[in-house]
Amino acid sequence: MKPKDLRTELLPVWCTGCGDFGVLKGLTQALSDLEIAPEKLAVISGIGCSSRLPGYVKAYSFNTIHGRALPIASGLKTARPELTTVVVGGDGDGFSIGLGHLPHAIRRDINLTYIVMDNGIYGLTKGQASPTTELESKRTRGLAGGDEQPLNPVLLVLSAGCGFVARTHAGNMPHMREMMKQAIEYPGFSFVHVLAGCVTYQPRNYSDQLLQRSYELPAEYDKSDLGAAITAVRDGRFALGVIYKRPLEEVAATAGATADEDWTPPDAVLKQDLPTE
Amino acid sequence: METRTESMPASVATATPLRSLVIAIAGSGGDGVALIGDLLLKMAAHQGLYGMLVQSYGPQIRGGESAVVLRIGDREICYEGEDTDVLVCFRAADLKRFRGSLHLHDDSLLILEEKDTGALPEWLGTTNQPVYRHPFATWDGDVEVAGEPKNMMALALLCRALGWPEELARQAMAERFSHKPALVDRNMPTFRKAYDAPNVPQLLQLKGHGVPLVVETGNEAVARGAMSAGLEFFAGYPITPSSEVMETLIDELPAAGGRIIQAEDEISALGMVVGASFGGVPSMTATSGPGLSLMTEMMGLSSMAEIPTVIVDCQRAGPATGMPSRTEQSDLYHAIYGGHGDFPRAVLGVFDVVHARDVMFRAFELAENYQLPVLVLSDAYVAQRRQIRDGVTDRRDKPRRWRWTPEDGPARFAITGDQPVNAFRVPGTPGGTYLAAGIEHTEDGNPSADPGVHQRMSEKRFKKLEAIAADTRTWVRTMGDPAAAKGIIAWGSSYGMLREWIESHPEYRVFMPEILHPFPIEAFTEWRKGLLETTTVELSYQGQFHRYLSSLTDMNGVRSFARSGGLPMSMRELGEMLGVPATRKER
Repeated sequence: MKPKDLRTELLPVWCTGCGDFGVLKGLTQALSDLEIAPEKLAVISGIGCSSRLPGYVKAYSFNTIHGRALPIASGLKTARPELTTVVVGGDGDGFSIGLGHLPHAIRRDINLTYIVMDNGIYGLTKGQASPTTELESKRTRGLAGGDEQPLNPVLLVLSAGCGFVARTHAGNMPHMREMMKQAIEYPGFSFVHVLAGCVTYQPRNYSDQLLQRSYELPAEYDKSDLGAAITAVRDGRFALGVIYKRPLEEVAATAGATADEDWTPPDAVLKQDLPTE
Repeated sequence: METRTESMPASVATATPLRSLVIAIAGSGGDGVALIGDLLLKMAAHQGLYGMLVQSYGPQIRGGESAVVLRIGDREICYEGEDTDVLVCFRAADLKRFRGSLHLHDDSLLILEEKDTGALPEWLGTTNQPVYRHPFATWDGDVEVAGEPKNMMALALLCRALGWPEELARQAMAERFSHKPALVDRNMPTFRKAYDAPNVPQLLQLKGHGVPLVVETGNEAVARGAMSAGLEFFAGYPITPSSEVMETLIDELPAAGGRIIQAEDEISALGMVVGASFGGVPSMTATSGPGLSLMTEMMGLSSMAEIPTVIVDCQRAGPATGMPSRTEQSDLYHAIYGGHGDFPRAVLGVFDVVHARDVMFRAFELAENYQLPVLVLSDAYVAQRRQIRDGVTDRRDKPRRWRWTPEDGPARFAITGDQPVNAFRVPGTPGGTYLAAGIEHTEDGNPSADPGVHQRMSEKRFKKLEAIAADTRTWVRTMGDPAAAKGIIAWGSSYGMLREWIESHPEYRVFMPEILHPFPIEAFTEWRKGLLETTTVELSYQGQFHRYLSSLTDMNGVRSFARSGGLPMSMRELGEMLGVPATRKER
């Protein structure tokens, strides 16, 4: 199936130039590469601009409530492990109201892919500071929390024990496609941090600023080295690429949801003989 | 209109009054009083006697004073009884925490520590019978030291007084300690010595029907009832007094092919349930008041996105932390009205352990059939009790969700003239992909901020309530003479007490809804005809139930007997309130 066949007819509500368009495209490209049929796919989100994304993907999609995409996806994937389950959302949804769920989803190592479109701002509610808004930006614009340090989400997921951590930029289509593909293929909880611009509540060149602060991890970078990963995400720049990938032989020992893929879903779901009156 | 009237099993439907004994055992942490109660209940069940046990703690849930009140009888029992027929107490000082749970009468038997001369509290009342004293403790001068297990001695004395053979106790212990049989052998000499103690008084000799019965807690019954109704996924967070629902399911659900997650909080617990049920899998959670508060937003999502969920709330005294191990009926408003926005949900009430299984079946039936959240209100009094019950023979077909096929049309949330629900699209079904959303949506599932859509979709969702009300109009239990002049309306765990009340007070009839919302108003209107005096009875300071009924029908002239929880309502209290003696039961 081509990427465009994985799109619904619904038109995105996003502002022209929003980084989320790129993510939508990157995700459908990755799903197309992986030949995942729409009926075998679930896309789950919370609330926010980026959380509108499930409506644009042909899948069993669920636009839930603010901050709770991970629990809902965890329940779904546990009950129906044969479904490819992708969770999407923004920095406010995932790192503020919903942050409490993140380390636990990581701890359980349920085979979900969590894509966070981080634009460092609350867009839907019109420009409040998010947990990842830079200090200087808050101060110069008079946003709340001018003395509160922003969160380093990638360091946080690494320290929680996330087995697959990647970062990409919403303007770099081939890179994003590759990162999402690898994340979905990874047989445990995978996290993709997407640097995304907001054309309305961030400076117009914000996306470029993000790019200027980014660098691609070199080929010799050892992504199985957790220590190297932690160093790489603490230098104030944005390392792009697969930052950490737990070696697969270690995954099987911890990934609860992948250890028993021979599990068959309950009768009530598989049987075709349900009443249709 | 036909309502479900109270009926006893044929074997016990005779006019013979219930013969029962109330046995209370009070001690401190380490005395093992809970074990005595547990073993006595097992032994009663083995003989085909009925009974129930409630445990009472001091302020700490672990450690400190603890007491069990056990009632054994020759008919089904779901009320702990009034007066204490036998009280075993190792230290008079331990009694002080249990004010209100224990009352002596003229013929009560007191079994006390030989050397303990502490005064018994005045509120306990007095007995005309001589106190039986036994050397439970081991002493080094005036200091109590570790010695032979007191609980084995107490068990032996009680068995002797009840006329139960030693072998029965050995068997119950062997069952209880099947993992360490040596323990039984080690304890039996202590048991035997006390069993052979001189001059042990005799109690009422109860005769069971001889068919072994089952001991189950309310929480176990909820868990097993859910499984027999098709539960495949559970997520929960530990909270008193509901944790044993999850613990039972951890032991029993995976073995039956289901899955379970202990969530990081209650928001997540119900979130996981919503997610699993979105996947087409019958799912539930169990919690208590504080957890229900956290789940409230998710309840709205379940209703808005039309995803079946079952939420069990084992109520405890609130608000905030309240009294976690104490019962109350004060989550009724929250269950019926809690949450922002207008959304339909159904609310059921649990009477006792036997009823719990039936209620769980109905909860899944409603949730799966109508694709909305169904709340089951249990409470600490039902959840934590152990009750002896007949074996379970539920052969009903499990409720099954109406599953979508392409013939069912393209719109997930289509408004159809004749049906309140649409076929459910189970992920994995080709051609059925759609967007579920907590955002208001069109019939296709697409987000919409159109006020007209909101009105129409609200109407569509609320149609389910009308259909449920029609389906459940007979979900009430009435007791007593339908022509009686006085009426009592109550719900939930007051059932056991009221069932005994009407036996000694034929001038009363009782109405208990099994479904609280939508309320079976027609049945109620029919039932209350001809009443000269009516009273609502509940454990809620505000009188939530009474006020709720007032919003549905004319309650002028109906008295409200509402108090805050802590202890369950007793016949004595009800009698005082109604100005009627709480007739002594047959001894």
